[in-house]
Amino acid sequence: MSEYSKDYTVDEMMTVLMAREVRNDDVMIVGVATPMVWAAFTLAKVTHAPDAIYHYIMGNTFVIEPRQVSLLYLEMNTARAYRFQDSVECTLESLPSDKLTTIEFFRPAQIDQYGNSNNICIGDWNKPKIRLPGAAGILDFSMFYSRGSFLYTPRHDTRTFVPTERLDFISGVGFPDGKPSICGGAGPQCVITSLAFLDFDGKLKKMRLASIHPRTNIETIKESTGFDLIIPKDLKETKRPTVKEINLLREKVDPLGIRKLEVLAGKEREDLLDEIIQKELAMEKRFPNLLK
Amino acid sequence: MRRSKLMSLNEAISTFVQNGDLIGIGGLSFWRKPISACREIIRQNKRDLSICTFVGGIEVDMLVASGCTSVVRASFVGMEVFGMAPHYRKAVETGKIRISEESEATIALGLRASYLKVPFMPLKGIIGTDLPKVRDDIKQIEDPLGSGIQVMALPKIDLDVSIIHVPYADEFGNANITGAVWMDDDMAKTAKKTIITCEKLVETEDIRHLPGKAQLPMQTTDAVVRVPFGAHPTSCYNRYTFDALHIQEYLKMDFDVYKRKFIDVKSHAQYLENAGGAQMILNTLL
Repeated sequence: MSEYSKDYTVDEMMTVLMAREVRNDDVMIVGVATPMVWAAFTLAKVTHAPDAIYHYIMGNTFVIEPRQVSLLYLEMNTARAYRFQDSVECTLESLPSDKLTTIEFFRPAQIDQYGNSNNICIGDWNKPKIRLPGAAGILDFSMFYSRGSFLYTPRHDTRTFVPTERLDFISGVGFPDGKPSICGGAGPQCVITSLAFLDFDGKLKKMRLASIHPRTNIETIKESTGFDLIIPKDLKETKRPTVKEINLLREKVDPLGIRKLEVLAGKEREDLLDEIIQKELAMEKRFPNLLK
Repeated sequence: MRRSKLMSLNEAISTFVQNGDLIGIGGLSFWRKPISACREIIRQNKRDLSICTFVGGIEVDMLVASGCTSVVRASFVGMEVFGMAPHYRKAVETGKIRISEESEATIALGLRASYLKVPFMPLKGIIGTDLPKVRDDIKQIEDPLGSGIQVMALPKIDLDVSIIHVPYADEFGNANITGAVWMDDDMAKTAKKTIITCEKLVETEDIRHLPGKAQLPMQTTDAVVRVPFGAHPTSCYNRYTFDALHIQEYLKMDFDVYKRKFIDVKSHAQYLENAGGAQMILNTLL
């Protein structure tokens, strides 16, 4: 048994939990501007899933080798590929799922109790209060990944977790009104947050508190969720990151802490961004380190 | 046709881009965007453009901020880890521009439908989302061949012009992309006119030795313009990466000030000088 880490941070907890969802025969889809997902997939590659394949949207490529997570030179990770895909394949990355399974993590701006999610706008679409960047491939695939869709958000609060009637746009399909997922997909599997690991009740298709992270409590989670979660009687504590997982993450996978950009806000985030850029500009070698 | 299509940037944009056109922009996010051509569009004060790109970033934001654009069609518009695209966001929120809500597939299959000359392509996705509520040109249909399967019919996208930046091209318009192609080959094939800007002009014989050869063949190219660092501040694999410092500067500056310093300049050499000159080149070269 490995020893559990005592000094992990919230981004590290989330990254490790996401990594643990990866299976060895998965195709791992890395989207745009999601460094935490990328770090998680790379951590999985160097721990329990060495044969998993990256599918980089930024490169439109399939890649085998894990490299250090990078901000300025990430295209180098994606272009050293064994296969470039053409335009339509790029958007149909889930179709080989009869042979391989696909894992993709979506980060919703809003999510309801059935796992329906929104990355389009806050308020009415015709006159939005906030126009979000858009939902890209989530609109296309959330409903038919055979392994289902995986969600994460470092913002576990009542702005993100909203009841169905306050979900402003369905851009990712969960279990609408508690019905099974459509188009043959398995539907949403989990939501990994700063406070808890959430999954979905098999019968009711509603969000359930699967385990609660150390250093938090049920009351906080209830107050931070805009609808009632199913709370099992034998509520477990989330398994902490191991020392090995944390060391690999900090020293090999993402030593610059690029994943933290997904968690921080405001001045703190700007400072970290500046620091990462300066460190990478100072590097002579512009190929991110090959891991292993 | 095997004839030289070399032009100046000014000539290419004034010849092939008209007010009101639907323009396809190549590249993705901060990667291989034809930004020098976008700056030229702004300098020529084109109006009422519709911009179609797979994933948009700073180029969409600039084309919106400058008032050239009235419609945006993209599956995502943002500034990656740097945040939201500020002018795009504001323009949508205030109703200054219209958007056609898109997914990855509505663009990829829309372009493919266009060059296959079919009215739509089917997709086994989107069903269950709110997208059809804001797109009355998308319809859920049952398989006409009788399997009973429900699919979404996604309409073709007919581009007037496509503008694509590449590392290598010859004067006839054979272009090699080296890195990821994204939607660019489909855009070039289906657009009525295609403008290619390139880092380096090479001989046709050289294209034969590059990986992938000519992903954009000469018969679909109408203009070739040599613009070294023409994708700056976005990347052009395998020559340079994106300029994070410039993108940060863009986000901090008032657009009018930015425009005076970086867009309303006399020459491309002046632009590169204002953007940091030799230091910028050393920062971004791979």
